[in-house]
Amino acid sequence: MKNEIKKYRIVDLMEENLTNGSKNIVTRETGRIIREAIEIKIQKEQEEMIIILDFSGIGIIDFSCADEVAAKFIARLNLKEYGDKYLLFSGLTPSQEENITAALEKKKLSLLSLKEDGGWKLMGILNPYLKDTLDLVMERKSLTARELADLTGVEINSASTKLLNLNKARLAIRMREALPNGGRQFVYRSLISSS
Amino acid sequence: MKNRIYCPKTLDESTFENLINQLDEIGVDFGMSVTIDLSKAQFIDPYGILGLLEIGRYLSEKVLSLSLILPHSEEVIKYMERLDFFKIASELFSLDLDDAWPQESFLRSSHSDVLLETRKIEGTDDIHNLVEEVRQRAETILTTHLKYDANAIDSFVVALSEVCQNIPEHSEDVGYVGIQKYFYGKKLGKNIVKIAVMDLGIGIRESLTPKYASSVKNWSDLAAINLALFKGASRFDDPGRGQGLTQVRKLVERWKGKLMIRSGTARSGIVPPWQISRPKRSSLKNFPGTQISIILPEKFS
Repeated sequence: MKNEIKKYRIVDLMEENLTNGSKNIVTRETGRIIREAIEIKIQKEQEEMIIILDFSGIGIIDFSCADEVAAKFIARLNLKEYGDKYLLFSGLTPSQEENITAALEKKKLSLLSLKEDGGWKLMGILNPYLKDTLDLVMERKSLTARELADLTGVEINSASTKLLNLNKARLAIRMREALPNGGRQFVYRSLISSS
Repeated sequence: MKNRIYCPKTLDESTFENLINQLDEIGVDFGMSVTIDLSKAQFIDPYGILGLLEIGRYLSEKVLSLSLILPHSEEVIKYMERLDFFKIASELFSLDLDDAWPQESFLRSSHSDVLLETRKIEGTDDIHNLVEEVRQRAETILTTHLKYDANAIDSFVVALSEVCQNIPEHSEDVGYVGIQKYFYGKKLGKNIVKIAVMDLGIGIRESLTPKYASSVKNWSDLAAINLALFKGASRFDDPGRGQGLTQVRKLVERWKGKLMIRSGTARSGIVPPWQISRPKRSSLKNFPGTQISIILPEKFS
């Protein structure tokens, strides 16, 4: 079952919420205004929704704005302050990616950026063991703890913890699935394949 | 009582201290008339322009009268006019423009090396406006003369935005910014861009004192500048704050540029291999606010 997806275009949010007509996201105050506008919208969305913040058409994003719009927002998303939702960024230029990455790294956060070719890039910081797990989830589109344990040779408890931590970092979707024998298991899905 | 401050032949980041020292020597009091004598000036860069304006702002509230003697050099006068110096200076100084003003009128060239005339920064709207303006005007200069690609131009504008933001966010004052392109023939054989940003605000030490003074040994202006520049210190507890200046420093280092910050009685920064300068100095004569100089060279191949 696929999760519902919604795209928020930052240019539209800027037009609705700022009076200066600029396409550049500079100053902390601007970042805060945009973040608050996103927060109002996301709180109204249903649970397990994937939100894509699209930065197409945006000029520069300075570090202060990147901290407000990306780092602060992700920190709150991870604490489920907006409910059980997921986030991707798209339409980023290399310069914007660099500044957002710097902001995320400072707070030890991470986020996926959707590339034009359908690929993805991790921005920010993720523990190496979680990064390896993320790569597997993204490659295989979905993964269970049993599958991860078999692939990597770790204990199933350890595999389960890794996948759960990936979900807590909002980098993989956690779904409950019925087993043929009547039992249940958790499946961890790639955000990209679900979007 | 009349007092005169003499501008050196070259007024830039390295010689601005000369003016501060003279300011300290004359001692400032309300009964004074002060004259700043620019007659011998042969070269003034954006840092020098802004420095004169900030000294003017500083003195205009403290002395009886303040006047300016223009440079004898027409070239320098024309340059100062191109940087919009006189537009702002006329509000601070008594100026006698008739005698020394160049006889023939001159137009601002569309091929000017001025990326940004002197601009006042009061609030965040000013930063939006200057970012828009620099992006539109500077692209040709930065692409053609400094060989910056689109990514590098974006990084340049981000750096500008971050250093200017410190004025409305931390200084509790207004400030100025100016940007100019030069060719550094002798030192480097390359084009460079000079950015100057200044305010007369509370300074970095006062901004950081509530949070750091009790925990940092030998708390001083120098310690405060170093904390802000090299450790991303901020008066706010949020770890995301204070990163602007650190990221600008990293960018300047990557591009082998120069970044100097003067605040209070100290200055600190980073100096590239192609410059000879002591990056860290303390026990300077006190001058309020914060003065920032950034020099970015043409891309090294």
